[in-house]
Amino acid sequence: MHWLQHLSRHCLLLLACLSALTLAIPQEERVSNFFGRHTGTSGHTNNWAVLVCASRYWFNYRHMANALGMYRTVKRLGIPDSNIILMLADDTACNARNQFPGSVYAKAGRHLDLYGDNIEVDYRGYEVTVENFIRLLTGRVDPSVPRSKRLLTDDRSNIFVYMTGHGGNEFLKFQDNEEISAFDIADAFEQMWQKKRYNEILFMIDTCQANTMYSQFYSPNILATGSSEIGENSYSHENDNDIGVSVIDSYTHFVLEFMEGINKTSQVSMQDLFSSYDPVKIRSHPGVRSDLFQRPLESALITDFFGGVSQAEIFPVIEDADTTTQHIIRVSSPDHVVPPDPVSPQAHNGQDFDKANATAVMPQKDAVALDVRWRDIRKWTSIVIVGFLVGWVSLVR
Amino acid sequence: MSLIPIASLSQGTYIDENALQPAQVNTYWNWQDVHRADQYLYHLEGLRDRNSTSEERAQFIRNELANLGLRAATQNYTFTASSGLLSGVNAYAIMASPRTPSSEAMVISATWRSEVGKEPYNLRGISIVLALAAFLKNYSLWAKDIIFVIGDGYLDGMQAWLNAYHGTIPPNLETSLLEYTSGVIWTALNIDYSGHSFSHLGVFFEGLNGRLPNQDLINSVRLISHYTGGVPFIVYDHLEPNDFPDRWQTTSILANAPDFIRQSPQLQDFEYRAKNIVRHINYQARGKPSGAHGLYHKFRIDAITLFAVPATGPHGFLALGRIVESALRTTNNLLERLHASFFFYLFTSPGTFMKIGKFLPSAVLVSAAMMISGLGDWVNAGWLHEAVTENDREEAAAGGPSSKIQGKKMVRWRMRRRPLLRPIFTVLGTHVMGLLAFNLMRSPIFVENHLAASLLLFGALTILPFVFASLPDRTPEVAPFSLLLKSFNLCLASIVISTTSLLNFSLAAILAITLAVPLMYSSCSRSSPPRIVSLAKYVTYSFLAWGWLFLRDEVKQAIWNWEVLGIWFAPFICIVYGPLVTQAGVVSLQP
Repeated sequence: MHWLQHLSRHCLLLLACLSALTLAIPQEERVSNFFGRHTGTSGHTNNWAVLVCASRYWFNYRHMANALGMYRTVKRLGIPDSNIILMLADDTACNARNQFPGSVYAKAGRHLDLYGDNIEVDYRGYEVTVENFIRLLTGRVDPSVPRSKRLLTDDRSNIFVYMTGHGGNEFLKFQDNEEISAFDIADAFEQMWQKKRYNEILFMIDTCQANTMYSQFYSPNILATGSSEIGENSYSHENDNDIGVSVIDSYTHFVLEFMEGINKTSQVSMQDLFSSYDPVKIRSHPGVRSDLFQRPLESALITDFFGGVSQAEIFPVIEDADTTTQHIIRVSSPDHVVPPDPVSPQAHNGQDFDKANATAVMPQKDAVALDVRWRDIRKWTSIVIVGFLVGWVSLVR
Repeated sequence: MSLIPIASLSQGTYIDENALQPAQVNTYWNWQDVHRADQYLYHLEGLRDRNSTSEERAQFIRNELANLGLRAATQNYTFTASSGLLSGVNAYAIMASPRTPSSEAMVISATWRSEVGKEPYNLRGISIVLALAAFLKNYSLWAKDIIFVIGDGYLDGMQAWLNAYHGTIPPNLETSLLEYTSGVIWTALNIDYSGHSFSHLGVFFEGLNGRLPNQDLINSVRLISHYTGGVPFIVYDHLEPNDFPDRWQTTSILANAPDFIRQSPQLQDFEYRAKNIVRHINYQARGKPSGAHGLYHKFRIDAITLFAVPATGPHGFLALGRIVESALRTTNNLLERLHASFFFYLFTSPGTFMKIGKFLPSAVLVSAAMMISGLGDWVNAGWLHEAVTENDREEAAAGGPSSKIQGKKMVRWRMRRRPLLRPIFTVLGTHVMGLLAFNLMRSPIFVENHLAASLLLFGALTILPFVFASLPDRTPEVAPFSLLLKSFNLCLASIVISTTSLLNFSLAAILAITLAVPLMYSSCSRSSPPRIVSLAKYVTYSFLAWGWLFLRDEVKQAIWNWEVLGIWFAPFICIVYGPLVTQAGVVSLQP
């Protein structure tokens, strides 16, 4: 029984070695290992969605269905209601002409009620105005506005902005009496960037001549896509003959159809979504604008925008001057109404941005590389030890 | 004008209002509802065969509607016209919208009598309205109240009901206000189904005084008829040439023409379009509604009559019910009154129409020509030329004040006075005369002894103008009366035509034809014609102006239309058309 005692002693020793190895890994890296399955990509810590249906009236049923379809998708992929701002300019569900009161369907045959029991419309009816939309984006809201109607984002927020309605060359009609122009949205996004209200934005729009709406963007980290080129209409996809109107627009229909195959752990990239666009089926030419977006589309996951899958933020132990300043900036909470500083905007632009962004991302990348090496070493050590033990045991026998 | 029926001048119809969404719904009207309509028809035929009174019929309809749980009532009315009293009883019911406040409404109506087809009674139309009332109340998606109206008579019942509904009861109508009312009526469908079965669905759309409903309504129903009902849709009851080639051959005016003309599709098409336009002009120029729908237009309600063109088949209650159900779903979608599409148009065929810009110039050009020629006469009246040389005429033609001065100095153009008083009195006098004549025609004495009275009136109207054509003034210093009167006459007629052309194109077109020729040729050759000739000319003009007095039925109908329906045709002819031609006659009387 002597060798057995030896064996147990060796095993204990082995375990001790292994645990020592494990303990040697810094705490933050372990956390980052746990959360950081998709790191090296976005670097965001929270997801938001702003879904806007800008047109009212019964015959625009499909626009409400578009927005609600997106609502269902982002909710399914994990963005909580508290992080979704849903703006519906009309209430088709309760329209007297609706044969199915309290329901909105996006497909002929009516298999899936998009309205359902669990829906939170944040801005509805006449609250959906250009002013409210821009105030929402830029955070310039009245102190009395409840938190559910605010976009409480920070510089680690990925925001999905979806808009639908009737539009034209560089405008989108709100409520049949006002318009938002491409310049308005571009300026609002720039203001958001300066106020550090986002990390990345995915802007998606389904309207006639939709691609003109993102033509004026100039702020970084915005990925934009639209349903149709300039001079081109976006068409509805199908009617339901009992509802009596078109129930969804073509572009949104095919985007949603693609989304149905995505779940929270999907590794499908935005590029896959864009490649799935078929101008023949959609009956218009969807566009993508990625020149402001600083990551390759192949590594930008769908769930970076549509999902609630986010990383915890890891602060590196190294006391870096840059990161310290970043801490301080982040501390100032964005949900207060901060009047814009007339002097500072310039400072936040260009170079400054690059530096800040680099420092935010780089240490994490190093940590990951280190982590992978460590894993390898541990793996091979344990194989060698086990092989040694097995060989030793068989030799002893 | 004769170019109007050419196919390439028309354009295709389209739906302009986004909200309408026609022919996009499933319809649920089925054989069970057809059976119900058949049962109503059975009862109504019984009422017809018993020669029941208006009161009995209305009571029956009211009871049936009330049995369905609708708010139903009857309305008694009596019109007082110069031709006598006219009374009847309407029945109606209101189905409240299940989920909205009753601020808007749509109407489905039928009248007891039908005048388009051969059958005098619109029993099937009434039956289907009743059956629709039973059917439609099963659905909760109506955003507007639906009002079911069965009007007595042909037009009078509906006129009384509409006036009572809107609280605009004229002094000659005796009725009480309605027991039940709803909101503002936006659209109305009037159903005229008098035959046994039908092959085509015809649309009638002309309203009172030439008003037309918004074209979107017609276009929507056309699409619905095609796609939901499967029934070919036509204008009036005119079958398209290729619908029934054999029948077309017998009705065409080209029937006796050589084969190559008869077979030519272009000519057939032209004839078909011309037929539609002539029918349209016939209704519109007289201001006569082509059905009970026309009475709605006055209240800014877009309404049409759907006429089931009698045939041995293949369609019946089933198709018509589906079409009406779907049409109501479409009008139910409206968010505001129909406004997007055209209000002025000519339907050349069911799917093509002409915009006002295309057909208006035909009348306006004539009117402009008359205006220019009238002004030319006015200028001529101001100048007297003696021994004119070629050179002088050119200078005079160059015009302007400078040439005037030159003319005084060098050329023998002399200005002369243009005394206005007499022509103005003549113009005013003839119009006042027309007004008096119109009032006289409405008196009971005139109605009772039409022939004698119209002879007397005609005589008076012919002789009286001689007062204005008294002594001819022959002094060269004064412009001749006839020339001045002609100038006034032409300018006035031109103004009348161009203003009417905007309100009622058909009337303007008819006026352009009937006024332009006589007025332009009314004077006045330099050499004065023999007295006899000018007298004969005058009498001809007088016949043109007032000869219609002898058309007894026409006159009676026109007066009735004015008194009961408020159609302006009769007063217009008396006060505007007659006097204008009389003035031309006075001009011709002058040497």
